[in-house]
Amino acid sequence: MTGGRGRNDPSGYLLVAFFTVPFLLFTVAPLLFGVYIAFTEWGIIGAPRWVGLANFREALADPWVANAFRNVVRYALIIVPGVTVLAFLFALYVHQRWPLSTLARTLFFTPNVVSATVIGLVWVWILDTQFGVLNHYLGLLGIPRIPWLTSPDWSLTGVALASIWWDLGLAFVLFLAALQDVPEDLYDAAAIDGASRLRQLWHVTLPQLRPVISMVVTLQLIATMRIFSQVYVMTNGAPVGSSASPVHYIYQVSIVQYRLGYAAAISVLLFLLIVLVTILQRLLLRERVRG
Amino acid sequence: MAEGWRALFRRRLPGTNLTIGDVPLWAAGGFVAILWGLPFVWMVSTSLKPAGQVMTRDVEWLPREVIFDNYIKILTQYPIARWAFNSLVVAGVATALCVLFGAMAGYALARLRFRGRDALFALFLASIMIPIEVAVVPLLLAFIKAGLASTYAALILPTIANVFAVYIFRQFFLTFPAELEEAAIIDGAGRIAIFFRIALPLARAPAIAATVIIFTLNWNNFLWPLLITFDESMKTMPVGIAAFAPVVGTHTQLEGFAVAMAAVTLLCIPSVLLFLLLQKHFLRGISSGAIKA
Repeated sequence: MTGGRGRNDPSGYLLVAFFTVPFLLFTVAPLLFGVYIAFTEWGIIGAPRWVGLANFREALADPWVANAFRNVVRYALIIVPGVTVLAFLFALYVHQRWPLSTLARTLFFTPNVVSATVIGLVWVWILDTQFGVLNHYLGLLGIPRIPWLTSPDWSLTGVALASIWWDLGLAFVLFLAALQDVPEDLYDAAAIDGASRLRQLWHVTLPQLRPVISMVVTLQLIATMRIFSQVYVMTNGAPVGSSASPVHYIYQVSIVQYRLGYAAAISVLLFLLIVLVTILQRLLLRERVRG
Repeated sequence: MAEGWRALFRRRLPGTNLTIGDVPLWAAGGFVAILWGLPFVWMVSTSLKPAGQVMTRDVEWLPREVIFDNYIKILTQYPIARWAFNSLVVAGVATALCVLFGAMAGYALARLRFRGRDALFALFLASIMIPIEVAVVPLLLAFIKAGLASTYAALILPTIANVFAVYIFRQFFLTFPAELEEAAIIDGAGRIAIFFRIALPLARAPAIAATVIIFTLNWNNFLWPLLITFDESMKTMPVGIAAFAPVVGTHTQLEGFAVAMAAVTLLCIPSVLLFLLLQKHFLRGISSGAIKA
């Protein structure tokens, strides 16, 4: 094992292998295996039975699958714009480096480092219909009590609010880093031209931040399509599936009903949807995602 | 006169870059930041209240009297110490392996030439787009059939290959000064020895960033531990405490929100503490990694 600088250094394989073996075993193989399982009927006990496209046909006709995919679109319509716009505004604020901006940065990011169980339970308590803090203050504004997590009309919104609070930190940090990279002389030039701060924001900051906006939207969209843990903790999909997401339904089918073949088929559909959305989104914003 | 006003608005407050005209905006943003932190205040405050003072007509932000009964109850009547131990073992071992393997791979991909290197890195990057949920059902089946359900091995193994770790180390080693390696090569040291003796000890910054970020991810991991543990004593802390959710278990109906808030406060402590102590590493790591692991 002498260190050569030639074209092919075998120690490279050894160094990479420690990562690559678990990567192949626990990421790539399950993915391929999952596609196979989707074409079978397989419970926890017994052998797989090839059923062809039956699982996919069933999934496309299953009203609960349709419901879960409809819900994930609704989640995305609330969470993605909510996170992107708020994170952008918060980052602009912290970027000013006014007094106490470091403290504000900490406050905006901290929810991102806690677990879904924390987010879920704290927000179940905040959104409590009778004694929740939110309804209390809405009541002071004359708004009647909202059954945030117990009514089919509101449960998805309730979970989405908690998700925005949880997810925002990542987008916020990415925006903040990007703002620091905008060349100072662009602002100086705009200021000499007499551009107001709002015009500078529109003509300098936003165009410079286009790639990172695209990246944030893509990352948040993918994260939202995989939404599960906060749904599980806050509503468990209830009432009547009004807040259930695709991953939540996959969980139910696999763990509660033990129908692993069917669960795998729904996973494959979700995967295809995520790939489709990512491609469409990239074509629309036509910016390469970094990383 | 108008000029005088404008000049006043543009005057900076001493020692800051805040102008007088900006004060309202500064205060409004500060208000939002405080609002953003309030759920944590409410969580801790509720956890310190006696059961009878939790559901009050008016919102009481601070407890009338501070008691620790809820914490004593959660620590003595629930297996929370066991869950915390499980979480520490799982997140600790997984993070250590993940960072070490990530550093090795990152170094090789940045500094060594071998056939298939770039294709391999492209494969790693492409895999970021794959939602783990697609792999979850087959993994579950495989681990159950292998008789590994509810074991540390099952909880740890699927989390040790994290592309984020590779990426962050590769970025670091791409700009690593070659002279440091060349001297050792002349002395006849092998590449693997160079990695362990020279490169790794100098990679403190990416190592800290990767460790705090990946530890937090592992500590908070939810779906996989939920699926693979059927045994109460093998649950991790987030999954065990999730039974306090009214839709999942009956603890909160029985005990009230004060005990539940004590449980989640304990669950917050490691990741929040780690973040507050190593904030700079954490944030720099995330923005330079720029991929959601």
